[in-house]
Formats: sequence, structure tokens, C-alpha cells
Amino acid sequence: MPSLEASKKDLEKLVKKKFACKEELETALEFAKCELDSIEGDKLSIGVKDTNRPDLLSTEGIARELRSRYTKDRGVPKYMVKKSGVTLIVDKNVAKIRPCIAAALIKNIKVTEDFLIQMIQLQEKVCLTFGKRRKEAAIGLYDWKKLKAPMHYKAFKLREKKFIPLEYKVEMDLEEILLEHPKGKEYKHLLEGFDKYPLLLDSKGAVASMPPIINSQLTGKVSEETKEVLVEVTGYTQETVNTALDVMVSAIAERGFSVYSVKIKYPDKTIVTPTFKPKKVTVNLGSVTRLTGLDLTPKQAKELLEKARYNVRTAKGKLLCEYPSYRQDILHEVDVIEDVLISTGYNKIEPAPVELACTGSESSEALAMDSAREICVGMGLQEVLTFTMTSREKQAKKIGLKENDFVEIANPVSINYEVFRKNILPELLDFLGKNKHCLYPQKIFEIGKCLELDESKENKVREPVKLCVVLSGKGAEFTVIKSALDALCKNMNWEHSIEDSNISFLEKGKQGKVTIGSKKGFFGELNKKTLEEFGLEMPTACFEIET
Amino acid sequence: MELKQTAESLSDIEKKTLKALEQEKFIGLEELSKKSNVQIDSTRRAIAWLEEKDFVELEERKESSTELTERGKEYALKGLPEENMLKTLQGIGGVGDFPEVMNKAGFSKEEFNFALGYNKKKNFISILPGEKPRIQLTGVAEEIKEESLQETLKKIESGEKIENEKSRELETRGLVKNVEKTVRKAKLNSRGIEALKLLGTIKQRAYNIQGKVPELFIGKKQPYMRFLLEARRKLAEIGFIEMESPLIVSEFYNFDALFQPQGHPARQWSDTYQLKRPKKGELPDKKIVERVKATHENGWKTGSKGWQYTWSAEIAKRLMPTAHCTAHSARQLAKGVKVPGKYFAVARCYRPDVVDARHLIEFNQMEGIIIDESMNFRKLLGMLKQFAVEFAGTDKVKFAPDYFPFTEPSCELQVKHPKLGWVELGGSGIFRPELALPLGIKEPVLAWGIGIDRLAMVKLGIKDIRQLFSDDLNWLRNAKVAQ
Repeated sequence: MPSLEASKKDLEKLVKKKFACKEELETALEFAKCELDSIEGDKLSIGVKDTNRPDLLSTEGIARELRSRYTKDRGVPKYMVKKSGVTLIVDKNVAKIRPCIAAALIKNIKVTEDFLIQMIQLQEKVCLTFGKRRKEAAIGLYDWKKLKAPMHYKAFKLREKKFIPLEYKVEMDLEEILLEHPKGKEYKHLLEGFDKYPLLLDSKGAVASMPPIINSQLTGKVSEETKEVLVEVTGYTQETVNTALDVMVSAIAERGFSVYSVKIKYPDKTIVTPTFKPKKVTVNLGSVTRLTGLDLTPKQAKELLEKARYNVRTAKGKLLCEYPSYRQDILHEVDVIEDVLISTGYNKIEPAPVELACTGSESSEALAMDSAREICVGMGLQEVLTFTMTSREKQAKKIGLKENDFVEIANPVSINYEVFRKNILPELLDFLGKNKHCLYPQKIFEIGKCLELDESKENKVREPVKLCVVLSGKGAEFTVIKSALDALCKNMNWEHSIEDSNISFLEKGKQGKVTIGSKKGFFGELNKKTLEEFGLEMPTACFEIET
Repeated sequence: MELKQTAESLSDIEKKTLKALEQEKFIGLEELSKKSNVQIDSTRRAIAWLEEKDFVELEERKESSTELTERGKEYALKGLPEENMLKTLQGIGGVGDFPEVMNKAGFSKEEFNFALGYNKKKNFISILPGEKPRIQLTGVAEEIKEESLQETLKKIESGEKIENEKSRELETRGLVKNVEKTVRKAKLNSRGIEALKLLGTIKQRAYNIQGKVPELFIGKKQPYMRFLLEARRKLAEIGFIEMESPLIVSEFYNFDALFQPQGHPARQWSDTYQLKRPKKGELPDKKIVERVKATHENGWKTGSKGWQYTWSAEIAKRLMPTAHCTAHSARQLAKGVKVPGKYFAVARCYRPDVVDARHLIEFNQMEGIIIDESMNFRKLLGMLKQFAVEFAGTDKVKFAPDYFPFTEPSCELQVKHPKLGWVELGGSGIFRPELALPLGIKEPVLAWGIGIDRLAMVKLGIKDIRQLFSDDLNWLRNAKVAQ
């Protein structure tokens, strides 16, 4: 869940309402699907729950969503867009690299600290979440006074152009930036496989930025002195870059600054951005009442949606809705219906009891596990719980097995958790090794799933539930463990047969294989080598069997 | 402790030993044991306890004594060869040839030769020459009324002292040896004397009922497991059927069936585990796969716009450790459900993370679904309220908007904890049509998940999530069964 920094005063100014207490602010934030993580004086930390709403990633965006609940400013917000007369010319050589771009100009800006913080935060968070780490949308902000129209978006070879990247003092060519600049290293994979790289330049050929990597120190920097800003978004589809631009620019416009459009001249067509053209969706009133369980008249539904920034016309049991262009999360009428509920207020809705005649049951697997567990507890054993993910070292090497056919993780966080266990025993021996300071005898068991490769299953693994019992201390020998095994089988009503075995981690002559129908297992005394591997000094005996 | 109390709490063997001790003289423990009629092991233990209570004074001394060697022990039992030879001769009328004597006496050649030489030297026998030489008693032996060496050996064995001369002879013959032993002796000290006097007045031993006894470690369930089992039982009781919950699922169930687009950041490596082996599993029924594909690409008949991209079956086939229980709900819906129906799973889930006090890479989730034509958002709230009562023991609840990729509307459940205030108990929602319809479900499906690990931590009073899988045996042994 993305988290935002905001100023309470700034938020109140934009909402046009003061929040008297923490609870009031918390309730208000629910209208924007947000929660208050912390409040310290004026400083707010806000969690934005909906990861599909980039428009909520700024104080301006949240304020817009709240203002409609407390003032008459409802429906789709209207932003004036004037023509700037500026053109951005797209060269055909970016078509295969990073083809789409959208841009806008903002004028009459009065830069405040709050504004600067919010813009940088919004830019970063939108690129990260909606833009999928700059891949689908990368945003650039520029001091327009330092650039000269028309702008050009064109790709160049590695050594062809030089500029001073942001926060650097020396000029670097494109290759140097990709290899040496921290942002170059972080994002160069987005341009992998091309011999040319896209640049944004002004009419004099000065580099403004290298999208989606880095801006230029000279022009691509917004400061307290900035009066006019160029906003630009690059990506792979026009729809995505337009949405990102609308998110960015509408937030800036919330502060009352003037928005100017830019002509984007592609080789084959010319478009103008931003448009703020509302999007449309139709909702059946019947769907609303059915899904919410609320008896709403068309008028009530319309009012609730207007508070959620929709424009609504009602016709023949249908709600014809328009919603702001900065939203791209509405795929289905259910998305609109949720906004009806949020506008109503979740805590104002009367819960209705679920009255269904259903008979419940636990799975047979779970019930069998319970029986085995009861028997083990009856034998005086302490249950332990270990992880199913473990290391090859424990599962094979330490118990003298060479096998390697484990279910294996492709992206382990650490080698301690790289494969799934095939047996529980090594995990319990490891457990005992960590508890040598505790009083003996130590008598433990675990019941749980293990994993084995199995081509015949839909998920290509067999997931047997195994029971492992380990006794450690004076007298933990063959007879004792066999008694325990016999007691388990007798009480589980299992017919078991025993054969000679030659298992690497058990003592020769004091071990055996157990078979119960199709289930298999082993039992016996641990040999000295295995005990040493796990640092154990006491005699130890075990059995492990499928349940 | 008061002398009287201590005297009262003496055990039987301590009392008997105390009575057998003397005031003036140190007594060895063997002797003491005989006198008190308490076995030597128990006497040793009693003396140790009495010393701890400061009733006796101990003395340790090195004493030398004579003991039988192995050969000595043998001869003590069956007699010495020379004496046996004389006895044998007496038995056969005072005379016999060599083989006769040897056989009758049961001698080895060596023993015979020794006995012959010895007795001849002492003049106890004479040898009658001839073709078959014979041995004859001389009569000297009969005159000697000395104690036999066998008797002497027996005396030594029983600990009696004997003359030096005799023992020296036996030592030379390797039948006895001198050994040094540490001998412990005890006598009463002044407190002991007092205690002894008191004992006369005390009739029965009083147990020290406050005293420490050895701790018994019982067999019991793992605390977190017990919690999970109770939760599962409770769900079965309120009408939920447990679903299958494999550890390994295809991305199809973990993501695609849940309408998560294939390029979504949540499907990246950093957010979920992927498998190196096995790599790909099987997709369900072709009809379901076709519908899911169409829904992702253009919304199919669900009324949705879809995600507008080309869906790949190969990506959906990829296997992964289950990242969330909702995968099991999707699988259950695809495999068929009763309507009305309630289903649940309490299952292990996996996510790559750095393990710390708040994060595990392997944890449990508890999730479920309710399917019926009558389900709606108000019912969802009603269900959540019931869960608050069942699992948190409170009906003080608060609802808040929430977001999950697969439910719309979505709702968070908070409950009021007496100490912690408002805490999040779980998330819920109504499955999106893009999820339900392709799996063949036309009725609304309420879906819920409860943060079972967090709830267990509150119930078990633990702060570090790693303790749920505690590897500390002492902690497990000390965990209470009753909360």
C-alpha cells in the first residue's frame, strides 16, 4: 500500500474544511479509500489502499475526493485548458523504442514548499505504481523558462549526445549515463536491445531529458523560482501516458494554476494533450440495489455518485455516468457501485445477518491429522511446528542423502529456504540441535505436509502429510521407538509390516522400513554421524510415516 | 530451618542411620549399614543427606587391607592343591599311584606337580619307587593341627584380619594382595545428638510439602497449532466446508482466475515465489480457460472492459507456492460448489520477504466464501459482524473501504480490543463478476479473509511473529494449555 506525506493545513485549505479531531479526519479519509497511518502535529502519513488509483497519490487528489463530500463542488471536476501554441515533434525513430508521449504546460505558478513536495511525491509514486517502475509511464517536469519551443522527441546513438544529468556537475554521454549514473543503472533495462536512445530536446538542441532515465541538470529541474513548468509523460500506449498526464496536471490545477495544452506532432497524426475528456460508463439501477442490498431511488444513487465525482443522468432504470479522465480503474459497473457504497458511508449501512442452512465439515485429511496428533500427545510428546521451506543442506547432505529431486524455489530470499522438505525428520533434528540446553528426555513430533515431484498430478507434486516422532535422551533406543510406532499403528487402526532397511542416517541393524497399505515410512536409531551433523550428543531414535 | 522441623522431615533411612550412629566413635559405612539394617547404597545416600543437614561429621581415611586375588578366590572355594592332595590320599587309604591321585583330586598337571613338591618338602608324603611310583602319607600331616590355608583364605575373604606371616606366604604364592582403600566414616555431631533426642519424641515423618519436586513435561499440542485447530473447528461448526489447499498451485488459480492481469506488478518476482522445478502445471477444463482468457482480453460476457491485452496460457500454467488462500477459493469455484454454500481454508501461504519480527516468508491464512443468490453488501457486513463475535469475542465493529484486485466492493473489518483499541481483523468483499462468471458462478460470492497470524499473536500474547513457529523447546514446554 503506497504511503503519502501530507500537511494537515495544506489538506484543509484544499478541502476547504477544518478537521477538529483525529476521528473526523479518519472518517473523511475513508471517502478516498485512504487510512491515517500517523499524525504528528501538522504532519500526516496517509495510506492509499487502492493501488489502481494514481489520482489519489497526492494531497491535491485526496482533497478533491473529500471536498465533494463537504461542499457543493461535486461531479466531474472542470479544469480550464488554454492553448499554449507549443508543439512537440515526435521523430519516427522512437516508434520502436518508446513510442508515445503526452505533455502540458502550467503557467502562473506560485511555488510553495507543500506544492513542491507533493509534485515530486506524485511524480515518483505514479511512475512506481501506475507506471510500473517507469516502464509504462515515466514523468518529467521541466523549468519551461529554460527551454525553447518547439520541443523534439527523438532517438540518438550512444555517443552522439552529451548532457549534465540531474544532480551531476559534468557532462556525460548516453553510454556513460547508462553505465555510471545511479538512475542509468537502475532503469537501463527498460531500453535494452536498442542501439539508439530517446531524448527530449528543445529547438536549440539542448537536451532536456533522457526518458525514462534522467532529466538534465540545467533544464529538467523545478525549484522555488520556477514560474512555468512543462510536464511530459512517455510510455507505450497513448491511453496510459494521457491518463498519467491527466493525473499529474489535474493535481497541479487543483491549486489554481493555469493549464495550457501542447500539440503532439507524430509523423502520421497530430493530437493535443491534455484533454480532461470525461470517460463514460452505464450502470443498471437494478444492479446497484441487488449488490448493495440498499433500496435506492435513482435520485439518491445520482446524488451519491456526484459526491464521488461522477456526472450522472438517469434514464429508464439506468445511470448514465461520466467520470474524470484521471481515473482508469473503472472496468465494470461494480466499480461504480462500490463508489455508491463509499459515498453512503460503510458504517451507516445496517448489516444484515447471513441465514443459510449449510452443514460444515473439516477435510478428511485434517481429521486424520487430528487423530494422529491425539495419539502423539497421549504418548507424552510435545508438538512442534517448523517451516516447509528449508535448505538442501539439511534435507540431503546432513542426513547422508545424495538425492536432489526437490521441489525448488526459483527466486529464494536465502539458501536457508530454497527447497520444500521431503521429510520432516531433518527439521526436527535441527530443532533438537538448538535445544541441547533443555532438560532431557526430549520427546517431540510434527505432523505436516511434505512435497515430492509427481508428473501425474495437476500441480506436478504430491503433497503427502507426514508424521515424524523423535525421542532423544538416555534410553531412546530401538525398542522404545518401535513401541511408539506400534502404539500409533494400533490406535490408528493401521496394519503395518516391517522390513529390513539400509537407510543412510539410521544405525545399521537398528532400523527398518514400515509399510501401511500404500503409505511408507522408516524407523530406528539415528547413527553417530547424523547426530554429529546436527550437534546432538544424546542417543536419539525416530520414526516418520505418511498419515 | 528449625532443628525440630528438620528432624521431623527426615526420611526413614535417615532416621535409621541416625540411630545407628555413635557420638564418640567414627563408624565405617559398611558397618553402619549392618548395624542399621539399611542397604549400603541407601546408607551412603542417607549419610550425604544428613551431612547436608549438618547432623554428622565425616572422616575419610586411607586404609590398607588384604584382598584375595582371582586365584585366591578360586582356591578359597575349592581348596589349595597341596591340601587337596592330602585329602585325596586320606580318602584312598593313604596311598595311591600318580594317575590315581591326579584324577581323583581333579588336578591339572601343573597343580599336581606343585602339590607333590610342596608336600614332599614338608615331609607330609613320601614316594614309593617302582615301575609305577606311588605316593604315601607320612603321618606328619596328621599330627599337625594347624588351620588349613583354605580356611585362612575364607577368613580373608570375609574381611577378618590374619597373622602377617601367613598372609605373606599367601602373597608370595599370588593368592592375596594388599590394597589401599578410602574409607568413609561418620559420627554424630552436636546437632545430630540433639536431633536424635528429638527423634524419640516424634512419631511420624512430616513431608516438606513446600519442597521442590521434579518438573513433569507433558505431551501437548503446539500453541499456535492449537489455535489454528480451534479456528478450523469453529468454522465447521458455523456451516463452512473445508476446501483442499495444496501448497503448490498454478498462476492460473493464484492470479489469472482472480482477474489479475499478467503484467501486473504483484505478479513480479519480488512479490511472489516462483518455482524452478516443477515449472508448469496443468490448466483446468478448456471451457473455463477460454472464458478466463476472454475476460482478461475484452471482458467476455461479464460486462467488463477487460484488461485489453493478449492473455498467455503458458504464463497461467506456471507453478508457484500458494501466495494467498484466495487461490483455493478460485480452485474450489472452478471444481464446483453447492449453492447455497460456504467454504473455507486455513492454509500455508508463501511470500518472499526478509524475515523479522513482523514478517514471515511462510505463514497461514484463513479465508472463505459464501455463495448464494441472496448475498449482497449488507449481508457481507452481517457476516463480518458474526466473525467479530466468533473470533474476537466482540460485537464492537467498524467497517472501512478497502482494496483487493478480485473483490468489488471491498471492505475492511476492524474490531475493538479492550487493550489495543481498534485493530484490523480482516478483509472482505464480493468477488468481481470477472472472477465468478468465467468459473461458472452466477450468484454473488462473499469472500473474506482473517489475519489469523496476527490474531494468534494477540491471543498468545506474543510480539514477534517468528515465535508462532518457535524453535525454543522451553517456551513450548512452558506455554499454557488454557488461555
